[in-house]
Amino acid sequence: MKHRGFPLLVTVSLVLAVVAGAATRPHYGGTLHVGLRTAPTSLDPNRAESVASENLFHLIFDTLVTLDDQGRPLPALATAWQAESGSQRWQFSLRREITFPDGTPLTPEVVVTSLRAANPTWKVFATNDAVVIERDSPEPDLPPELALPRNNIVKREGGKIAGTGPFVITQWDPGRKLVLAARDDYWGGRPFLDAIEVELGKNFREQMVSFDLGKAQVIEVAPEQARRVATGGERIETSPPIELLALVFNHDPQSVADSKQRDALSLSIDRRLLNSVVMQDGGEPAGNLLPNWMTGYGFLFPVDPNLTRAQQERAEVPETTAWNLGFDANDPIERVLAERIVLNARDAGLRLQLATGPSDVRLVRVPLTSLDAQIALTELTASLGLPQVKIKGNSVDDLYTAESALLKSQRVIPLLHLRTAGAVSKTVRNWSRARDGAWRLPDVWLAAERP
Amino acid sequence: MSLRRKLLFTLALTAFLSVAAVAWIISALVRRSFEHNNEERTVALVEQFRRDFARQGEDVARRIGTIASGDASTRMALSLSHASPDYGAFLNEARAIAENQQLDFLEFVDGQGTILSSAQWPAKFGYKDTQAIRATSKDAFLKREELPDGAALGVFAIRQVNVGDRLLFVLGGRRLDRDFLLRLEPPPGMRTMLYQNLESGFSPTLLINSSGLMQHADPVAPLIRQVQQRTREITALVHWSSNTADDESVDAIPLTGLDHELLGILLVGDSRRPYVESRRQIRTAALLGSAVGVALAILLSGWAATRVTRPVEQLAQAARQVAKGDWNTQVTVTSADELGDLAESFNRMTTELLQQKEQLVQSERVAAWRELARRLAHELKNPLFPLQLTVENLLRARQQSPEQFEEIFRESSSTLLAEIANLKTIISRFSEFSRMPQPQFQRVQLNEVLESVSRLFQAQLRTPDRAAIECRLELAEGMPPIAADPELLHRAFSNLVLNAMDAMPQGGTLTFRTRHEGEWAVLEVADTGTGLTPEECERLFTPYYTNKAHGTGLGLAIVQSIISDHGGRISVRSEAGSGATFVIELPGNTDKLPADQVAAATS
Repeated sequence: MKHRGFPLLVTVSLVLAVVAGAATRPHYGGTLHVGLRTAPTSLDPNRAESVASENLFHLIFDTLVTLDDQGRPLPALATAWQAESGSQRWQFSLRREITFPDGTPLTPEVVVTSLRAANPTWKVFATNDAVVIERDSPEPDLPPELALPRNNIVKREGGKIAGTGPFVITQWDPGRKLVLAARDDYWGGRPFLDAIEVELGKNFREQMVSFDLGKAQVIEVAPEQARRVATGGERIETSPPIELLALVFNHDPQSVADSKQRDALSLSIDRRLLNSVVMQDGGEPAGNLLPNWMTGYGFLFPVDPNLTRAQQERAEVPETTAWNLGFDANDPIERVLAERIVLNARDAGLRLQLATGPSDVRLVRVPLTSLDAQIALTELTASLGLPQVKIKGNSVDDLYTAESALLKSQRVIPLLHLRTAGAVSKTVRNWSRARDGAWRLPDVWLAAERP
Repeated sequence: MSLRRKLLFTLALTAFLSVAAVAWIISALVRRSFEHNNEERTVALVEQFRRDFARQGEDVARRIGTIASGDASTRMALSLSHASPDYGAFLNEARAIAENQQLDFLEFVDGQGTILSSAQWPAKFGYKDTQAIRATSKDAFLKREELPDGAALGVFAIRQVNVGDRLLFVLGGRRLDRDFLLRLEPPPGMRTMLYQNLESGFSPTLLINSSGLMQHADPVAPLIRQVQQRTREITALVHWSSNTADDESVDAIPLTGLDHELLGILLVGDSRRPYVESRRQIRTAALLGSAVGVALAILLSGWAATRVTRPVEQLAQAARQVAKGDWNTQVTVTSADELGDLAESFNRMTTELLQQKEQLVQSERVAAWRELARRLAHELKNPLFPLQLTVENLLRARQQSPEQFEEIFRESSSTLLAEIANLKTIISRFSEFSRMPQPQFQRVQLNEVLESVSRLFQAQLRTPDRAAIECRLELAEGMPPIAADPELLHRAFSNLVLNAMDAMPQGGTLTFRTRHEGEWAVLEVADTGTGLTPEECERLFTPYYTNKAHGTGLGLAIVQSIISDHGGRISVRSEAGSGATFVIELPGNTDKLPADQVAAATS
């Protein structure tokens, strides 16, 4: 018995190993159904609404450079780059034998045209196999900047756009539906999926319904809903905090009293409760603009409320100004956030009221567009409508100094850094996302549904 | 106004007043009935509101009880054992439960009054609501609820949850809003409004009806202010527009909270349109009835008046003919009633009058002849007596003194001639009086006639053989012309001047005055003579009456005859010793002008 039992055990183990291997082995084919809230009317990365469509751009377009999770540039369409003249002139060598879906090759001229369209102030020109970019001042962060969504390389012909990405557009119903097909000749290798169907303009609830019905395998989930959905047994994938929730004033402080009121407002807000209760731990309290994982110095900025100090600041103001707080009235969670901020402000004796029309201060949510901290800060200030930030060098100290100066201007009061979340079906395998939250769908493959 | 018109007017007025009185009585009865119904309807609606309010309160209380006994409440109560409650776990709990239970408000509050979860204000977690947990009654109550965008009123109920030593309050309710008013279902013609007393004073934005915010709230503001001041039920008539049909009788009921504070005012409006329309219909019917009644009254009274007044009118016409001198007038007796008796009496009267007239004429004729004979005898006797004496003297002189006959004859001849002339004068005057002509009317300026008379007598008034008489003319300017016979007027005025001259043997002043009074021309001839006694004044115009030694008594009779023929009047006023004034009033007589002079006379 002892000798006959061992071969049987070996045989059973081998069978189980083969079955398990078959279940985890990637295979090609299948259509991935995706739901998104954004409803772009254009897929052109240069359009203003492009930020929300970033997950789609990765599928259709490529950039010259991409960033790793630490924000370091990696080759993409450009295989190498070289800085000259003190980082004022950059030359990017293009990858060879890259083609668009119609078979036309990617040429330096196409890249130049695309980059000029996205950056009208840049001097961009082509050489034999390279693209040269000249800036007015030294720009050591140019490669990370080329990884921004707007710098995806786009070929525009006759009102149509095309990219060199892993998928090609087969159906485009603006704002409603996008169907992509895998490119067999993609330079990075054919994606496992045959196709991706994206339902656009679906709110979180509609996406969840589709997900529950099995009509979608990947959907977005509101960060404040992620915990509840996960409690329900669904597979929830969250990103690091990559979206800033902040109050932005329309103008600089007009007086000392104005400045003190802004201080009082910032000190009165209980960010931890906003995060834990309203956002259901869907983020982190924020005392500065960039998340701590990106800079490492976020803990230096206080996030706890100090109502006593807030009331003292308020007491030094003879007469408070009534501020209108603008928010997205169509977003129920933003309403709760705004109402809570108003309550906190009242505790400090400030006069803040909700407004759906013209406002003095706005509650805004701005995603970080780059894994490079300096680029992210620059893009963030531009998105918030703040004056362009000046960063003296590449060090963390320089970044800290620039961000501190920006906060001292009192144009913006950071509140939270929010995560993005998505529900992913159990049939979706090899799911991953970049640290900036971008989905890596070309790496995904679909397992067969079990009966 | 004729008798027939008086009868018509009286009957029509009687009919109109009767219908108006009936209409007023009906209108008053309708108003009283409407107000009575209105009061009953208002009381009924108020009762209905109270029942609905109580029913909704019971419904709210039942739902809150259900929530309090549910798992969510138990879980929340259990979570209170932690040092800091997990607000995040309950953030949307209250809202979801409230939606499920169809409540507008729902809060979970711990024993210290801290809000764990709020449906109406989710962001208010961790804040206190100590007012709510003071409510101990199981009944529903009114409460003012603070919301992010202001305050609101609601019907609330509260329940307590005890899990071990943990205490949780469940407080929820429904909003008092247009939906609440819609559920009241007032009867036709009535409506409900709600004033949410969320601010001091009156604010039109706080007044709602079942359609939402009221656009025109000002008319009800005074009533709301009264209730705010007195906190008791008040009824008032509210004028929503200038059209009285839009008026509403509004009963304002104060709604108070736990601390008896005024939280809202329920306004129960009862339209007065049915009453106003009924009153309008009654008025229209009354006016129509009055019109028909008056028309019928006119017809009937016309018929009746004709039957009654026709004999009277015939009598009146006959009387007028009698007055004109047609004494033979008779009326037809058409009935055997009092009017028939009256007609027969009239006929008898005219017959008797005719007989008496004939007798009177006969008597007057005899008397006139006697008077004429007496005057003739008197007048003729005076000159005849000298004639007789003169002739006898001549005869005696011829017999006794033939030598002096010639001389006596010459003297007597002159006497005889003078007396004979006197006789002729007397006879001519009588002849003139008997031959008084009818006036020939033509356009006459009275002032011109007087001036002519004045000029004619200037010489005689100033003759040296008698005391001078001053003639003064005080003639009104712009005297309108009249229709008269200038010759006859000249003669009449001349007689008056002669009369005045006789009255002023010692001289004096003769004054002519004229004026016009309407269509009448008035002339005064005043002297400053000896004047007349009242008796003389009465008899002055009697023919042959004279107070003068040598007068025939025909002068003023002629004047009166002329003036009378012109349709005028003559009178005299005088006092003895202060002169006399003859006043002559002459009508315009334009109707007596020949056609070719009418235009000139009236221009």
